[in-house]
Amino acid sequence: MTVRGNQVDRRSILRIAMAGGVAIPALTLAGCATGGGDSSDDSSTSTGGGTKSDTNPFGLADSGAVEAVIFNGGYGFDYVTFAADVAKKNHSGVTFGVKPSTQIAQELQPRFVGGNPPDLIDNSGANSIGLNTIADQLEDLSDVFEAKNLEGTTIKDTLYAGVEAPGTINGKLVAINYVQTIYAIWYSASLFEANGWTPPKTWDEAIKLGADAKAKGKFLMLWGKEAATYYQTLAIGSAIKEGGDEVRLALENLKPDCWSHAAVQGVFKALETIIKNGYMKPGGGGTQFTAAQAQWSNGQEALLYPSGSWIENEMKDQTKADFKMTGVPEMTVSASPKMPYEALHSAAGEPFIVPSKAKNVAGGKELLRTMLSKEAATNFAKTKLAPTIVKDTVPEDGFGSTALQSQGKMLKDAGDGVFTWNFVDNYGMNQDMLVPWNAFLSGQIDAAKLTAELQKITDKVANDPQVKKVEVK
Amino acid sequence: MPLSRVIFILITLGLPFAFYAVFVLWPFVQAFVYSLTNWSGFSDQFEFVGLSNYTALLKDDIFLKAVRNNLLLALVVPFVTIVLALALATMVTVGGSSTGAVRGLSRSSFYRIVSFFPYTIPAIVIGLIWSQMFDPSAGLVNAVLTGLGLDKFESFAWLGEVSTAMPVTMFVIIWGFVGFYMVLFIAAIKGIPAELYDAARVDGAGRVRMTFMVTLPMVRDTIQTAYIYLGILALDAFVYMAALNASGGPQNSTLTMTQDLFNTAFKKGQFGMASAMGVVLALLTLLFAAIVFAVNRYTGGKDNR
Repeated sequence: MTVRGNQVDRRSILRIAMAGGVAIPALTLAGCATGGGDSSDDSSTSTGGGTKSDTNPFGLADSGAVEAVIFNGGYGFDYVTFAADVAKKNHSGVTFGVKPSTQIAQELQPRFVGGNPPDLIDNSGANSIGLNTIADQLEDLSDVFEAKNLEGTTIKDTLYAGVEAPGTINGKLVAINYVQTIYAIWYSASLFEANGWTPPKTWDEAIKLGADAKAKGKFLMLWGKEAATYYQTLAIGSAIKEGGDEVRLALENLKPDCWSHAAVQGVFKALETIIKNGYMKPGGGGTQFTAAQAQWSNGQEALLYPSGSWIENEMKDQTKADFKMTGVPEMTVSASPKMPYEALHSAAGEPFIVPSKAKNVAGGKELLRTMLSKEAATNFAKTKLAPTIVKDTVPEDGFGSTALQSQGKMLKDAGDGVFTWNFVDNYGMNQDMLVPWNAFLSGQIDAAKLTAELQKITDKVANDPQVKKVEVK
Repeated sequence: MPLSRVIFILITLGLPFAFYAVFVLWPFVQAFVYSLTNWSGFSDQFEFVGLSNYTALLKDDIFLKAVRNNLLLALVVPFVTIVLALALATMVTVGGSSTGAVRGLSRSSFYRIVSFFPYTIPAIVIGLIWSQMFDPSAGLVNAVLTGLGLDKFESFAWLGEVSTAMPVTMFVIIWGFVGFYMVLFIAAIKGIPAELYDAARVDGAGRVRMTFMVTLPMVRDTIQTAYIYLGILALDAFVYMAALNASGGPQNSTLTMTQDLFNTAFKKGQFGMASAMGVVLALLTLLFAAIVFAVNRYTGGKDNR
């Protein structure tokens, strides 16, 4: 069949198509997709429709559903399922749904925009949402700390000191960090014992230990490319102990020249010596970080590794038998630092948040309250070999783990001398900082250049009017 | 126009166009609108900030570095891939014995199949395999080199040194694509009438001369298409980079615009800025295609008629 005669020719169809291509979007331009969010103000977010009482402090309704999205990383998500089962016993009419995710930001971004986020989120992992970005949209969780736990004690009295610090943004408690993480230097107690080594307390001792290690054909330290900034964490921790709070505040508030402080420079110089002397295993800039960590925990090619206390769980399958993983606090620069050697960089991690626009805010808080009960917290410590922010859930023998034992000891020795900082995470700077750190650890740039590069990254954030600042005092 | 005709046009043109508008044009427009805002990506509120995202990008040395890396990729990867693929395609089609009919090397169908293998592997797997091959301590590459007595390569971080990270990354991408483009060119060369080669040979042309005087002019449209595909791939390259050097490589030497965009959007929560990067990337891609078309036309390509 051929079509002839008075017909729409190819050109005019194309013309219409072009016009349509321009016109249709232009017409809809006015109504931006972001306007799709349900903007009806829920004034009843503080109560869930039920009656408030000590056993139901947030007034969770007798029926309904609670949805939790949990980061499925080193700690898995079964501990939340455990808490959900406990909560289910107390609220038999309510369904608790716990979903795992490894892409928190990508998965939940459209839900935040659309105004229907889940009731409880574990905002953690490499793909977490910058807390500062969504702080305005989150519930103030201080009423969870004020509530009584399942055993009848007020929750804030059952927690370690300072656990609210990392989740507090400009005075509002937007996140409850559930797991107590200790940042330390980790080593194999059995290897050190066999060679008569002791873990270094100052950077000078570390350099000396590096020479001993080299004599045995080993390195002092090693790194993996995605985890180069573990050395930044070590350096900042060490510098804060050396120079005191002024170092911490300068960095937190992104002060000009904050990286040039004498204490920070002391650490950088020591690291530079370690790298120049060849005590740092070369090639880390091209090694995947868990592969690098296995060279330490399984191959024992290096003696020390700076990391958070998740390291034991993370490397569980790749740790040499009888390794006896043990942690000690970061080295100090001089023998007379402003904070004692025992002072500890420790922070609560795994931030749990409850969005204000969630359908069942009370349900999210109730699940969180259940997680903070003695029963659920002990379950976590036992199955994950890591302490939660709830005190006294780890027995003396650390469930048979040397790493957990040493964590208990470090926390006890530190007493009130526990500190942390948030500027790297708050402003999402880790990605940019990895670059100079990889270069520095590879020996491509020296301490002076590292300082300049890091300062450039912090200055950029400090001078960006689009970035909301968190003031730390 | 009779009704049936209107319905016909609506279905054949209207429906596809509606899909095109909703899923292609509309997101484009949205991205452009967002690029003029300070939208964080996680709320339904934002303010218009005009072109300030774009001016900030022009001063952002990390983004500019990424642009330069992408341009370098777009220059090198298509060129090397096409030269290699064309050389191989010539060998297996017309590079054989110079007596009798024009044909490829003996066992050429075997070479053809083998060289196509890499293309059957997903890009992410290619990236992961090669990142293991180039592992400084446990990788095959360094094991072979040190085994040959080159102790310099003990723990040498191919993907961690500024001087080698980009070349190695390019090598991996090229390795993955040569086979496919070889098959594409074989199909094109097979479409050239054998008489042309016979005539050229009678006139005394050798293999090299036949390649430049017969093969190349006859397949130049295929080359143009290949160039544009590869160029667009090089301007993206996200998958390979994510597998080989997810954090941008040593001193950002392999950071691409797409990676910077992803970090800006999801890690820094600056979707407005990220959208601006997307717009810049789209413009550069269009520009690249335009340049390839123009070069082909002004050097006497087929489109000139």
